[in-house]
Amino acid sequence: MPDKSLAEFELLVMLAALRLGPEEAYTVSIAEDIAERTGRFVRRANVYTTVQRLEEKGLIATHLGESRPERGGRPRRLVKVESAGLAAVRDTTRTIEAMVGSLGDIIADSG
Amino acid sequence: MKAPQWTRRLLGLLAPSSRERDIVGDLEEAHRRRLDHRGPRLARLLTGVEAIDMAAVLLRQRVGGWVGVSLLDFKLGWRMLIRYPGLTVVGGLAMAFAIWVGAVTFEVVNQFLTPDLPLDEGDRIVGIQNWDTEANRSAAPFLEDFVTWRDEVRTIGELGAFREVSRNLVLGEEVPEPVAVAEISASGFQVARVRPLLGRTLMAADEAVDAPAVVVIGYDLWQTRFQGDPEVLGRTVGIGSAPSTVVGVMPEGFAFPRAHAVWVPLRWNMRDLEPGGGRQVAVFGRLAPGGTRSSAQAELDLLSARRATRFPDTLGRIRPRVLSYVRSVQPLPDIGSGGLMAANMFMLMLLLLICGNIALLMFARAATREGEIVVRSALGASRARIVSQLFSEALVLGGVAAAVGLAAAGFGVKWYVSMAAVDSGGQAPFWIRDHLAPATILYLCGLALIASVIVGVGPALKATGRQVGSGLRQTSVRVGGIRIGGVWTAVLVSQVAVTVAFPTTAFVFHRYVAHVRSLDLGFEAGEYLSARLEADEVSFLGNERALDVTPPGVRLASLYQELEQSLTGESEVLGMTFASRLPGMNHPRSPIEVDEAGPLSEADPQLFRAASALIDVDFFRVLDAPIAAGRVFDSGDLNSDVAVVIVNRAFVDEVLGSRNPIGRRVRYAVPADEESRRWHEIVGVAENLGIVGGPGFFPRNEPALYLPATLDDIDLAYVAIHLRGDPEAFTNRLRILASSVDRSLRLHDLRALNHVAESQWNESQFLFRLLTGVSIVALILSLTGIYSVMSFTVTRRTREIGVRVALGSDRRRIVVSIFRRPIMQVLAGIAVGAWLVFLLVLAVTGPLGAREIGLVGLYATLMFVVCMLACIVPTRRALGVEPAEALRADW
Repeated sequence: MPDKSLAEFELLVMLAALRLGPEEAYTVSIAEDIAERTGRFVRRANVYTTVQRLEEKGLIATHLGESRPERGGRPRRLVKVESAGLAAVRDTTRTIEAMVGSLGDIIADSG
Repeated sequence: MKAPQWTRRLLGLLAPSSRERDIVGDLEEAHRRRLDHRGPRLARLLTGVEAIDMAAVLLRQRVGGWVGVSLLDFKLGWRMLIRYPGLTVVGGLAMAFAIWVGAVTFEVVNQFLTPDLPLDEGDRIVGIQNWDTEANRSAAPFLEDFVTWRDEVRTIGELGAFREVSRNLVLGEEVPEPVAVAEISASGFQVARVRPLLGRTLMAADEAVDAPAVVVIGYDLWQTRFQGDPEVLGRTVGIGSAPSTVVGVMPEGFAFPRAHAVWVPLRWNMRDLEPGGGRQVAVFGRLAPGGTRSSAQAELDLLSARRATRFPDTLGRIRPRVLSYVRSVQPLPDIGSGGLMAANMFMLMLLLLICGNIALLMFARAATREGEIVVRSALGASRARIVSQLFSEALVLGGVAAAVGLAAAGFGVKWYVSMAAVDSGGQAPFWIRDHLAPATILYLCGLALIASVIVGVGPALKATGRQVGSGLRQTSVRVGGIRIGGVWTAVLVSQVAVTVAFPTTAFVFHRYVAHVRSLDLGFEAGEYLSARLEADEVSFLGNERALDVTPPGVRLASLYQELEQSLTGESEVLGMTFASRLPGMNHPRSPIEVDEAGPLSEADPQLFRAASALIDVDFFRVLDAPIAAGRVFDSGDLNSDVAVVIVNRAFVDEVLGSRNPIGRRVRYAVPADEESRRWHEIVGVAENLGIVGGPGFFPRNEPALYLPATLDDIDLAYVAIHLRGDPEAFTNRLRILASSVDRSLRLHDLRALNHVAESQWNESQFLFRLLTGVSIVALILSLTGIYSVMSFTVTRRTREIGVRVALGSDRRRIVVSIFRRPIMQVLAGIAVGAWLVFLLVLAVTGPLGAREIGLVGLYATLMFVVCMLACIVPTRRALGVEPAEALRADW
């Protein structure tokens, strides 16, 4: 069975795509969503390669939307999370939660 | 505003075709968001960085799998740089030099050919010029054209006009200094779309003839002359003699329409609005939404045809032309776009040549690693893998060279901007950048990549081009399988040829500069202070309604007399004179006729070209320049019925065949009017006074005419003041005296007269230095290349040398047989180089005599000796081979 576990940045991209939904999730909006929520500097090139990798893994699907004037008449490549992708997100977050377990207080205190 | 074009093109080029639209769309959208939050300048920068980042990812995806470059390869490359410091320094500096020259040329060419106007939607700003279809030349539009176009043209939304004038900026009791002032229509600021930092820009109401005089100043002027005073608005300053109220300060960097720091309203009266008459202005505008240059041109053509029907005499031969803004206010220099592109190509060729030479060094090094390469091949490394490793090593060298080249290019561009500033009178046009454009940095990276490919891939392909079996066999017996073939021979030969040719070019330039400097001005020019003298026309003296404008020359003549008067009280001043051009300056040349037959050597004995200057009657007396024959002018010559002229010695020698000139008559062959059609009688002969030029490469004293004149005859007046002591120390005092005569009296380009001529040769000096730099790089590279080839030959044939020594061969014969081939290559290079030198000298100085041919031969011999010096160490090594050691090492 192929490895469907998600690396950290892959998880962030998947979560952003889920939040934005299939009509609004694309490279620029995903990068902005992650940057806004995490306060990190996000390279769009990173988002681009991650989306490509997730698509190759079959966790998401992409398709071209309509042409838009603010993009010089060019379309967005919209991202839709597949059921396998949703399962991978679920597995990864559960793994993290399981590992955190009762350490939540310690982590919170040390922060 | 769209993302910069180069970013779109870059990503379009590298993205897979199925992803191109959305990737470029992402870039476009991200750029627009940045524009809203960060402003145009920062947005462009960030989008450029992002595009390069994205391009790197796309490039890796495209070629990464094929090349298989890893971080380890780069680490290894870095180690190799440290292990071979000689190659690193020589190769790296040579590459850096080639990259620097290429990048600076690219930047300068781009700034000339496709300047980017740093204004909001700058590419939509256009200029309108008139084209005189009969004279076949462009002409500035008249105010009447501007007013008509402004009222009737629809494809250009906002239309502005300006006129460039020079005025003294008068602040309180400070000594006035001339500044470039733009008399500009209020709409000009709307076209530029730049808001003032303080106060306001000019308004339409300011253009009324009876409106109060106002001025808007630039940021730098505000900082330097007003110390950044926030209360500057409302202060009164003198613009020439006109007191004006400061109403606004423009932000830093704003110098629209060209290189301006002071803006006053453009005003006109009814007389200015006669078709084909009145004052001339530069007209510009911003294309209306949906409008293009061609639609604006079509509309202007229609309008022009209508107007030509109404005013056939004045407008019948005039056609307006819509040009890019920059081209309309700054015509392309004579060199033209073809010449500029040729410069780019030359620099690229230089890079290729230098890289070819470094490749030779790398190849020689790769040959020493032959065993390593063959063993790696035998262990299963593919050829592509080994090539990519050697390429990575070259890329590290190229990266270091690019970094050095980039830093140096920054200085190079700053130098270019300072030169452009000198050319345009103190400040470069505002669209000239003093830093590298992102496109240039990209080009520079491209050059480094090309250099790395040539330097790394070429030798690597050559070094890995053999079968593993034979390679292992040859490596095991240490005879070396890599040979220097035809391509490398060509590289070596061309390298030596260039080494021979380049220093000659530098030498020729050196001779040129030395020759020009040696041309004596004919008097003690270092004792004179020179300046260009100007005064405001009466219409600008605060009385804007004055319609009877006193001719500027008449007013200037009276101010000159007053200045001369005030100078008589100064103990250091020995005299003052004026002329339309002073010795050492570039004089206008015109065809002239002589009354009788001239020298027999000329095809048309009665038609010659001569330089001319209108001069003060006291000119020769004040300059203390001796008269060789006849007499000097006197005041009677100004109003005499007989027009008189003084000629120089070169005129007598060349035009009159050294015959007695006194009493002969000359006149202009193509007169500007009836007055200048008159014959002028020669009354005196002056010595040659620094009027140089001529058709040959080396300038010589040219024939010249001096005509007596008063200041009101002269459009552009220069003064020369004879002083005791350092003339430039008198500069400030002179400004004070001029200001006390009249606050609008302006003195430009105050310099000692001997410095005037020298400043004209600055560019030649720079070229000389550049060529010297190229020559040194070529020489070092060439000598290193020869050394490498010789060392390589010795290393490859060590065993053979050992065997021959063991068999008792004469060592000299061994050396000759081993080095015959490389020495023949060096000789071939010197022969080609000497031929190039011969052609160059022939082109510059004409047919060569025995002396010149002998000099070229001597020079070629000298270069051969220098090249042979590079062979000393390898030869000693070859002769030092001990047979026993050589044989033991092989087995």
